[in-house]
Amino acid sequence: MMLVPCPNCGPRNSSDLRYVGESHSRPNPNTATPEEWRTYLYMEDNPAGPLKETWYCRSGCRQYFTAVRNTSTNEFENHPLPGAKIGSVDPSFHYVSESKSVEGNQ
Amino acid sequence: MTAFKHLLSTSPLASARESASSALGSLKPGSGSKPPRYSAAGLFVKGAKSQDWPRVWREVDLQKSYDVIIIGGGVHGLATAYYLATNHGITNVAVLDKAYLGSGGSGRNTAIVRSNYLTPEGVAFYDRSLSLYNTMSTDLNLNVMFSERGHMTLAHTDGALRTMRWRAEVNKLQDINSSVIDADEVKKLAPSLDTSPNTRYPILGALYHPPGGTIRHDAVVWGYARGADHRGVEMHQKTEVYDILCEGGSGPDGKGPGGKVTGVRTNRGDISAPIVVNCTAGWATTISDMAGVKLPITTHPLQAAVTEPVKVFLPTVVVSGSLHVYVSQTDRGELVFGASVDPYATYSMKGSLEFTEELAGHVLELMPNIGRMRLLRQWAGLCDMTPDYSPIMGFTPVDGFLCDVGWGTYGFKAGPVSGEQMAEAIATKATPKLIEPFKLSRFATGQLVGEKGAAAVGH
Repeated sequence: MMLVPCPNCGPRNSSDLRYVGESHSRPNPNTATPEEWRTYLYMEDNPAGPLKETWYCRSGCRQYFTAVRNTSTNEFENHPLPGAKIGSVDPSFHYVSESKSVEGNQ
Repeated sequence: MTAFKHLLSTSPLASARESASSALGSLKPGSGSKPPRYSAAGLFVKGAKSQDWPRVWREVDLQKSYDVIIIGGGVHGLATAYYLATNHGITNVAVLDKAYLGSGGSGRNTAIVRSNYLTPEGVAFYDRSLSLYNTMSTDLNLNVMFSERGHMTLAHTDGALRTMRWRAEVNKLQDINSSVIDADEVKKLAPSLDTSPNTRYPILGALYHPPGGTIRHDAVVWGYARGADHRGVEMHQKTEVYDILCEGGSGPDGKGPGGKVTGVRTNRGDISAPIVVNCTAGWATTISDMAGVKLPITTHPLQAAVTEPVKVFLPTVVVSGSLHVYVSQTDRGELVFGASVDPYATYSMKGSLEFTEELAGHVLELMPNIGRMRLLRQWAGLCDMTPDYSPIMGFTPVDGFLCDVGWGTYGFKAGPVSGEQMAEAIATKATPKLIEPFKLSRFATGQLVGEKGAAAVGH
């Protein structure tokens, strides 16, 4: 069992939420090559340590939010306060247009 | 009962267990003598004289350089070392493990083997593995307790039944014994299953795969370790890799694409080697990041549980995708349960109460009459999940750095063939045909090998 700090609902059991995955910057659709799209779709950092990730509070406020969790201990590093405006946790999660932000190489 | 006839042959597993546990103690240089062959006569003599069994593998000093370094002392790493030595005569090999041999996924899986996959590439690959498992006890001179008891994947919906038919046809085309059976036949094979139409998830039929079964997974690890040791391969336990040394690459410290591996840095010093193979599970991305190779992998824990032992009543392996569970009964009579991976990525192997609750509920849907059985324990192992539920094998953009990773929830059953094919890749410096579809570059080119429907439960 793991408590996930939802900014609206407070700490909730992880089974109340859906794990969306690592928060990646999306490449610019106008300039991205197929390889860049596949890198964005498939490549993950998968660190054993702090990870910026997206959750969906499906049984509560039904909002997406970003949190930082240590994947070795499952402890969350930032506990957004209940009532904090969605998106104010980390606005970079939504859209970043620079194609240089694409991570990973092969 | 034919399913349990393998128990009659001699089983010198106790000595292997002793060696595995004593190896956790101080690291001492071994005598270097080769282990004797196991036989029924030897078992009788040892028993009569109450002599100690010799150590199963040597423990020697770490050298400064090797031809091949294999990171990860599980089924995959040891099988690679074994086939390098037996098939290709490459014996200057070191297998490094940060804990003890078989301490990761090799000792945590539910020991089920089968080859009824969905893609032609997957079927051909896993069938080769099954045929290696079939002759393994003889090849390794160690009873791995292979029990060919049959494998049933239950269908609870029309959609599932359609996928079963699809799988059965793909399997039959490649000469795999696999067919769709109806609920009555399911009842005959496993009378304890509730096949009535009045359940929440009624059993409509199943994909039946008679060559599937279970194996003693520790014995497979010990068998490969013993066989590899016999041929001169060195196993170094409690040897953790901190870094992979590279030169000429595009990244920092000469790592990354275009570079070349020169060795590894461990807690026991630097070792040089022209070839380093990543055979880890759970830490696959951690290790490959050390060489500057990025993998499309996320690490998820998979939990399993075992009940107290009871009289044998479940003769086959039973899998239910809709109910996220697979069940088999061990030779000791315990029921072993596995499930789907935990829904979030983590390196923590803590068990959860949600898992046992959900598991118990699902198992009771299948077998309502075992409601009073008690769980003995639960545990977790780490699974490296790839986007297409197929592994990543072979060469990487860094010269001399090979991967045999991304084994998700299906690594154990593929151990022997992976070792055989990786050894061939190392020895011939070319990707064997059987693992060509699983190359890392498939994610850049979009040629995925989709095994989601047949590789695991609960997707």
